[in-house]
Amino acid sequence: MPMHRRTFIRRTAAFAGATAVMSIVPRKAFAAGTPTVVNSIRSLSNPYHATWNQGGQAFAKSIGAEYVTLVTEGDSEKGIADIRAILAKTGGNMVLNVDPNDSPDARPIVEACLKAGAYVTTQWNKPADLHPWDFNPNYVAHIAFDGVHYGEDTANALIKAMGGSGGIVGLGGILSNTPAIERKTGLENALKANPNVKLLDFQVANWKPTEAFNIVSAWLTRFGGDIKGIWAANDDMAVGTLEALRAEKLAGKVPVTGIDGIKTAIEAVRAGEFAATVSWDPYWQGSMGLSIAYAAKMGKIDPAKEPKEHREFYGTGVLVTKENADEFYKTHIESEPKIDFNDYWGRVTGQIRQS
Amino acid sequence: MLSVEHVSKAFAGVQALDDVNVEIGVNEVVGLVGENGAGKSTLMRILAGVYSPDRGSLKLDGAPVFLRSPRDANLNGIGIVFQEQSLLVNLTVGENIYLGQEAEFTRLGLVDRRRLNAAARRQLDKVEVDIDPRTRTSDLSFAARQMVELAKALALEERTERHLVILLDEPTSVLEQRDIDILFARVRALKRRASFVFVSHRLDEILELSDRIYVMKDGRVVGHMETGSTSVPQLHQMMVGRDRHAEYYRESKQQSPKEEIVMEARGLTVKGAYQAVDFTLHKGEVLGIAGVVGSGREELTRTLFGFVPQTGGTLKIDGHAVRLTAPSQAADQGVGYIPRERRTEGLVLSLPIAVNMTLSSLPVGRIMGAISLNRERQLAKRWVDKLRIRTPTVEALCLNLSGGNQQKVVLAKWMNARAHILIFDHPTRGLDVGAKEEVYELIRDLSAEGVAIVLTADTLEETIGLCHSILVMRDGQVTARFDASPGRKPSQVDLIRHMV
Amino acid sequence: MEPQIGHPSADSGTPQISSSERRDRTLKRSLSRLKPYAPFFALIALSLLIGAMNPRFFEFNNLIRIANSAAIPLVLALGMTFVIVLGSIDLSVEGVLAIGAVLISLLVRNNSNSLDLGWFGVVLAILACGAIGCLNGVIHVGLRIPSFMVTLGMWFIGVGVATLVLGGSTVRVLDPGIRSLALDRPLGLFPIAVWVALGALGITWVIERQTRIGRYIYAIGGGEDLAALSGIPVNRVKIIVFMIAGTLYGLGGLLAAAQLGLGNALIGSGRLFSTVTAVVVGGTALTGGEGGVLNTLIGVLIMAVLGNGMVLLGISPDVQQGVQGVLIIVAVALSLDRARLKIVK
Repeated sequence: MPMHRRTFIRRTAAFAGATAVMSIVPRKAFAAGTPTVVNSIRSLSNPYHATWNQGGQAFAKSIGAEYVTLVTEGDSEKGIADIRAILAKTGGNMVLNVDPNDSPDARPIVEACLKAGAYVTTQWNKPADLHPWDFNPNYVAHIAFDGVHYGEDTANALIKAMGGSGGIVGLGGILSNTPAIERKTGLENALKANPNVKLLDFQVANWKPTEAFNIVSAWLTRFGGDIKGIWAANDDMAVGTLEALRAEKLAGKVPVTGIDGIKTAIEAVRAGEFAATVSWDPYWQGSMGLSIAYAAKMGKIDPAKEPKEHREFYGTGVLVTKENADEFYKTHIESEPKIDFNDYWGRVTGQIRQS
Repeated sequence: MLSVEHVSKAFAGVQALDDVNVEIGVNEVVGLVGENGAGKSTLMRILAGVYSPDRGSLKLDGAPVFLRSPRDANLNGIGIVFQEQSLLVNLTVGENIYLGQEAEFTRLGLVDRRRLNAAARRQLDKVEVDIDPRTRTSDLSFAARQMVELAKALALEERTERHLVILLDEPTSVLEQRDIDILFARVRALKRRASFVFVSHRLDEILELSDRIYVMKDGRVVGHMETGSTSVPQLHQMMVGRDRHAEYYRESKQQSPKEEIVMEARGLTVKGAYQAVDFTLHKGEVLGIAGVVGSGREELTRTLFGFVPQTGGTLKIDGHAVRLTAPSQAADQGVGYIPRERRTEGLVLSLPIAVNMTLSSLPVGRIMGAISLNRERQLAKRWVDKLRIRTPTVEALCLNLSGGNQQKVVLAKWMNARAHILIFDHPTRGLDVGAKEEVYELIRDLSAEGVAIVLTADTLEETIGLCHSILVMRDGQVTARFDASPGRKPSQVDLIRHMV
Repeated sequence: MEPQIGHPSADSGTPQISSSERRDRTLKRSLSRLKPYAPFFALIALSLLIGAMNPRFFEFNNLIRIANSAAIPLVLALGMTFVIVLGSIDLSVEGVLAIGAVLISLLVRNNSNSLDLGWFGVVLAILACGAIGCLNGVIHVGLRIPSFMVTLGMWFIGVGVATLVLGGSTVRVLDPGIRSLALDRPLGLFPIAVWVALGALGITWVIERQTRIGRYIYAIGGGEDLAALSGIPVNRVKIIVFMIAGTLYGLGGLLAAAQLGLGNALIGSGRLFSTVTAVVVGGTALTGGEGGVLNTLIGVLIMAVLGNGMVLLGISPDVQQGVQGVLIIVAVALSLDRARLKIVK
């Protein structure tokens, strides 16, 4: 009967709405004192960002501040809207550490923070012509990782595991993503330096393990034993690769490399199935991004006085190979990493290349 | 055997049936006539178990029965063959015949298709039609599908001890004459196995097939007689309360058309449909186009409204040549189209009357670019009055109107758009006698006001009665032209001779 | 108010036609009779084309690889098929698959907790997915919310719950029995996963052709009002269809967990699109009432062959996405009965 159904839906919606409102408004009103620390990331459904979030929580706890996580779910509009909302709610009394969903998003986010008086660090994605030093003091820093450098590192580790020569195949991420482009360039650099290694084919698996699985299966038909190593632009695809090899009883016989340093990858390196991976230490990203911005807000550092190398810099990734895998596992996976939140510039490896 | 006693039923305040009493005996055909809105369809649906009566009861062999669903009706031996095809075209014939009844062929959850098809075969044999039960229904012609529906209704025989009652709800409206004859022959042959309740608008068919007739008007039974003792005029009188006579077509009002030519066709051709059609249409003239299905007259009318542009020849409207490739172009030229399928082509049923009326003429009723709802409503009210459209308000949705009133809304839409040439495609199809008369009246009035009309009518009688001139077509060509001014009207035989 | 039962389309008849036109007409009729087999011919043509350009396509091992990459998509698409024939759509694939994979990876021997329920855990997980499907159906018919909306919500709920349960991380599946689904090849032929998929195909084929409910699905897809008037329990059928779909998605979750050796919330990511595409490419119409599981098998094989072939032929990644897009448009264009569709939305 329509009446009952409508009433039911209305009541449920009201209940849900009330719950939602209650969850947004925290029990403690946003104190005028301690700034709120906010992390904005793509989702909590992947280990990388889940660890990032943990780092943020640890930092917030260390200074006794209110901690908020914003999740974009891959939706730029939502990401920007959520940030605007929290800026309004806190009256600008907050610091933001954001991994923007897409490069163009960084500009409106930074401008909104500037307007509200909040302090912000961006990571990974921003437009090339947007610079922290043009938005003193609120836009504190931009942190990225040199995809070219680490793409090359893992490729070299792969070539070493192959014995220096042979055919390899490469799996790339989504064609238009900056990390995908950078890491592929790294691979190409390594190949240039190793003329005995030939790239048999390069395919795009869009960062997804199942796509990697299917491509590797087809490669085995096409190239068979000619494949001496497989380079993947991230760990998810490398995992898919490994399972495709395992289905053909080739796991451990053909070295594989990935990038991101997820737990499964570290374990695979320990087991000898991966030749290498790179960890960005998302725990560090999630905590230090906040710490640097927080330091600027509290006046502990003056961004205007810091060199450009501290404003737009490449962080340090850890290349994990058989040599250091066990150690890395102990310090980073089994326990929460110990980070010195006051060491702002300890991992700066250089200023980001101006394209 | 099956009796309806003191049944009443109302829908949203409208009394559809009021204290109706009907008896259906064994092995007979009972005819049911009445205008649209008289209650025939409602009564049929109550018998079929689709609706329940508000008051009164149904009795089978003296004992009351409660039909809560079509399934209940089926179990009591009542089956209905709907007016519009009720078979699922994506299933086979056999599947359709036993739709919902597969239980008897199912063992351990699996359906035995061979037994089902064999049983379907047996049902099809009852109607003496040779169709393979494994045929996909979409591959069958309408006439064949009608037979399958009949077989489906007859399948009830095996499921019930009761006498079979088959309700035929306007089965002939989509059939050609030849198929109608076959249907009637079957029904007569099947009378010994079942009783039939036959509803039709065509009074001659009712007289031909029924043993007894009930006449309904405004939800009541107003007449009940043996077929032999009545005639079409008498039935007509009981249905509408007045005789049908020459004034039916308002022939006395037929005025001569003006001199001015509004539309002219020379050698008009659409490849595969018709060729070399010439005609001249004057202001205020009613031009009728007669022909059987396949003569090309349907396609000709659709060319005039831009559905199918001509492939050869010229068409001139108001003196300049046009090639209409879309109805919007025709509308721009001042041509309006009252379609056959008004439910799908004439109105947006889910929208109110007022909105539909201004659909083709939105600038009218506009203030500075925005639609003036007030003006729209006033316009609508004026038309409702002028055309005597029966509705509580102009905000009422068109789907709630009866067929005749819907037709009037379509008409109002074009008159609002100041169309000076109107194309009527089967305008009175599906309308009851009273509504038909109103349409004829309107056609006369329009003609008197100078609107030129191209008319494709349902019957030859209509064509002859309403038109100033008549084009007869056969196999894509014009075979005869008639002047049909009052006093000089051709006879039906004259026309038929050139049609077949 | 009164049920509107179908519309007779205008039977405009045929005027006299020439003999050449008659020949055209019989050609058209035989072509239209072949139309339902178009996807099958497309598959054959595609395979021959690829094989001609790289004969390794026909190698036994490659055919096994193709079957392997088609197993999970087939299971998912089978579930989707019934929903689409019904005339509805199910967007919750990724969410339900995630729940299934995550539950399995948590209940069987894994690296995150000490549970080791083995096949019992698998059965529980698949039943849970069936229950989610059932819930989809109940909300759809009970609250009369379009299937699009209900399953869209369930998609996000599924991924959300999977995320919540795992805290965003991944769980490794260590149960050798589960892993053997993907890794063991009885008789040196297909991995067990492929046999499982074929088994699912067999069961759904029987449901479609031989059972009453299979018939009812087509009846409802062909004309829901009519089906209801014929006494078919429409609501019950709908709920069962969504439940079957959920169960099959759960089965897909099992195969995915076995294939990758892990479970996480994003394991189903991107599968909705490929599942619907496979069903449509195979010839099942999105409007309902047409097609079936054999069509879906062909559709899934076409996609798998295409994916394998593009790598074998070394087609540039830039081009591959475009190719898939063209495939979808061509498939839908061929399968639509455009003559019957007067309005195209």
